[in-house]
Amino acid sequence: MSSRLWAAGATAAATVAAVLVLVVVTTAQRRYERAFALRMAATTAAYVAAVTPPPPPPPSPRRVPRGRRRAAVPAPPPPPAPAPQSPAARSYDLPSLLTQAHALRTLPGWSSDVEVYFGTAPLVDATAPPLSPDDLPHLAAGGRWRDGAALVPLNDRAGQEVVGAVAVRPRPVPHGPLPGGLGFAFPAAIVAVGAAATIAFRQHSLRRGGYVGAALLLALAGYLDVWAAARQSTDRWLVDTRRLLTEAATRLPPPRARVAITDLAAMVRDGEIVVGEPAESAPRRVRIDGEQRAVVAVLIGPGRWIELRSVPAEAEAPKWLILLLPGALLGPLAIMALRWAERTPVRSRRETVMAWGFLAPAALHLLMFTVGPAIYAIYLASLANFRALVRDPLTWNSFVTSAAYALYVPISIALALAVALAVHRYRERGGWGRRLVSVAFLLPYVSSVVAIALLWQATYHAGSLGLGRPDWLSNSHTALLALMLVSIWAHVGGQMLVFLGGLDAIPQAYLDAALVDGAGAWRRFWRVTLPLLRPVTWFVFLTGVISALQMFTLVFVVTQGGPFPLHATDVVVHRIYRTAFGPQALGMASALALMLGIVLLIFRWPQLKLVRRQERHA
Amino acid sequence: MASVTIRRLSKVFDGGVQALHELDLEVRDGELLVLLGPSGSGKTTVLRCVAGLEEPTTGDVVIGERVVTHAPPAERDVAMVFQTPALYPHLTVRDNIAFPLELRSVADAQIARRVLEAAQRLGLESVLDRLPAQLSEGQRQRAALGRAIVRGPQAFLLDEPLSRLDAPLRIELRGELLALHRALGATMIYVTHDQTEAMTMGQRIAVLHEGRLRQVGTPEDVYQRPADVHVARFIGTPGMNVLQGRGRGTGEEGRVIEAGSLIIPVELSTYEGELQLGIRPEFVGLCAVDKGVGNADVLVVEPLGSETLVHLNAGGQSLVARLPGFAEVRVGTRVGVKVDRRRLYLFDAAGAPLA
Ligand SMILES: Nc1ncnc2c1ncn2[C@@H]1O[C@H](COP(=O)(O)OP(=O)(O)OP(=O)(O)O)[C@@H](O)[C@H]1O
Ligand SMILES: [Mg+2]
Repeated sequence: MSSRLWAAGATAAATVAAVLVLVVVTTAQRRYERAFALRMAATTAAYVAAVTPPPPPPPSPRRVPRGRRRAAVPAPPPPPAPAPQSPAARSYDLPSLLTQAHALRTLPGWSSDVEVYFGTAPLVDATAPPLSPDDLPHLAAGGRWRDGAALVPLNDRAGQEVVGAVAVRPRPVPHGPLPGGLGFAFPAAIVAVGAAATIAFRQHSLRRGGYVGAALLLALAGYLDVWAAARQSTDRWLVDTRRLLTEAATRLPPPRARVAITDLAAMVRDGEIVVGEPAESAPRRVRIDGEQRAVVAVLIGPGRWIELRSVPAEAEAPKWLILLLPGALLGPLAIMALRWAERTPVRSRRETVMAWGFLAPAALHLLMFTVGPAIYAIYLASLANFRALVRDPLTWNSFVTSAAYALYVPISIALALAVALAVHRYRERGGWGRRLVSVAFLLPYVSSVVAIALLWQATYHAGSLGLGRPDWLSNSHTALLALMLVSIWAHVGGQMLVFLGGLDAIPQAYLDAALVDGAGAWRRFWRVTLPLLRPVTWFVFLTGVISALQMFTLVFVVTQGGPFPLHATDVVVHRIYRTAFGPQALGMASALALMLGIVLLIFRWPQLKLVRRQERHA
Repeated sequence: MASVTIRRLSKVFDGGVQALHELDLEVRDGELLVLLGPSGSGKTTVLRCVAGLEEPTTGDVVIGERVVTHAPPAERDVAMVFQTPALYPHLTVRDNIAFPLELRSVADAQIARRVLEAAQRLGLESVLDRLPAQLSEGQRQRAALGRAIVRGPQAFLLDEPLSRLDAPLRIELRGELLALHRALGATMIYVTHDQTEAMTMGQRIAVLHEGRLRQVGTPEDVYQRPADVHVARFIGTPGMNVLQGRGRGTGEEGRVIEAGSLIIPVELSTYEGELQLGIRPEFVGLCAVDKGVGNADVLVVEPLGSETLVHLNAGGQSLVARLPGFAEVRVGTRVGVKVDRRRLYLFDAAGAPLA
């Protein structure tokens, strides 16, 4: 591949990645805008339903003038209405509805255009096209997006039948902080493509790091934009709803002079209204019971403040990273692939592609059953779950318990090493003794954990350890220790086998050299054998710790996390299991599993490096 | 420094392999003795017995005045350079060289001084802080030597220290080793299977074959006066031609030896019957068919530039002739064979020389 062609390919890949990110950002922004519009439309519909009086009873079609309505005390029956209401009585007083709809248009500070349909006829803008007759039944199923506006049903006063619709068309507002409402993503996309192009065209050897950095920056910029859009959608709703609430407080039909908070709360079903304090009119983010909430203070009467609360949409925004990150990283990945293709001779290229072809089913399987669930787990494990977990003492207890339990690993390693050294020496003298010893130690290693667990449970309960103390398992202080003993017993064999392999791999010449140099057995061990065994020891250690942190069966079979109430043996995986069958099951369990996963990663990383180095040496 | 004496040393391994048979050998104080033998002849086993890594089955090892046959290696104060490199991979060159001193609890300052001295002697100053894996093969071998000399032991045991190096480097290091030997005045047993190396290095060469010591002598001794047919065959490149023959008293020119298609007249008065006839390749010549002591078929021709080796088949006996320059010989042709009658070696059927 020529270098110019290659550079062009790299630039194209970067461009595709940048466009992909922009598409994701735009989609997210549109989603949030629609979400806002639909929510606003629903709130508006509720508002209209609340403030519009019913049509006057047919016998005396007397219209109550608006000005007098508040003061007058004729107390017609609306709220505790006689049970069987005719559809007409459940509907609205059309002239009032007309007034209310027009009033919405003139509401100061509103960020949307609104239209109210009675039946299919538009009330605000009489020249607007009416709804089609089919629309209303469709709307009964819920709101929808149509022609750039959110359309939600307007139910009758009893909420039984769709009598009209409310359409909210959000007015465009700037999305980003840059001039012209530009977000960060667009400039970042230009920078990323520019970086890729410069790196690719200017010098042949691409500094991959540079472009990966630009791509990550692009993802970050995109995320910032999405986050801002999410925040904006919540804020717009809060601000607009605040206007509606203030309005509603003055318009709610009599008899009550003081509007009840419960009446207002009925208008904002997906929000929360509580008695509030005087505060600024701008939305704020506050923490309530450890949960993030977007709030705004609303004045509903002289000296009467309420607080309108909503779950902030940006709390959900991280899920977009699932699309943004891969999108942005597609660029560097494609560039690396191109680079690889450029450097690799045709034949090995073909072979590699073929190899991946054969791997594809396995890779797909892995993706579907491992990576997929992992991502789903991350999705499930929202921040709220983490917060709840962190506050739960049982979580900490489980991690501490697991850590304490994992302390058996160094002990079993020391034991395994000692046995391996003995067996190794013994081997030099004669053959089958080694095999016998190996089998004796390996037997527990290859047996089923459940069998081991049951065996030891019986042993402990019988108190037949010759220690005179009955039943270590029901004592909170000794239960974990008892499990650790079982684990040592079960793991020493396997670890010894690995050490034995390591010892066999040490060239005799090293030990002979030390011997001739004058080293005694002790020094030979510390200065030669042990350092040469270090990779093996690390491997055994890391593997041991990882499996110790993942231990479940033993606890499940023997102690079920007890003795209680101290949860003395409640290790992390067992906690996950317990959580999964508790309230808020999956999210919490996923969050816990994720926490464990991160801890495991700390040990897995060096282990992988170790294995890789070993492979390189082999 | 001390002498090393081996008395009637035998070694039988656990599996029943007898690696050494009644070996007697004395290495004088300050001498460099080359122990030469083909692969599997027991050279390493000798060194390991001297170092104390193997316990002799019978016999004694004496270092200086002390019988150390059953003493542990640490008490023998010998240094050994192993056939397979035994630098500790986890230690730097500096720490590797310092290792034997540290074991002896030498003061730190002195360790540093002596390590530097040894490194200077071997040209290792610039790589002292590298790990063995980061060294070239030659540097690695030098570092192994460094670890041996740093301690100033009673004797050095060098087990094919140069066999893993390529030819030019081997020659270079060989020179350095000789210089080192002179400078230290050290007692050294130098093991090799390369007889050229043995010839160029040794004051004395001990030839080992199948666990038996066949000859101890100067390079000239072992070349000119091989003690038996094994030594004769092994020394020289290529080694001596040994033909299976039979002495006869009849013949027009007196006594002759028949070997394959060759009939060679000899001045041998007493012997009749099976014997072995040795002749070095340089004393074998080619001539026209039927003009020499017999005819042979040319199997292989190896032109080496300064000389040409011609491998012959003389009636079932193989024979090599070394001819000067590029010889005009075709593979597959039949040629006549000449031999220099004054340069014949005669051995009995068992391989002992016939005086
Ligand atoms: N530990 C052992 N157990 C059994 N037999 C052994 C052992 N070590 C060596 N031998 C045998 O003893 C004989 C001599 O071995 P040794 O290693 O001394 O040969 P060497 O002359 O050093 O050969 P090389 O030039 O290949 O290193 C060989 O036949 C070998 O197979
Ligand atoms: Mg050897």
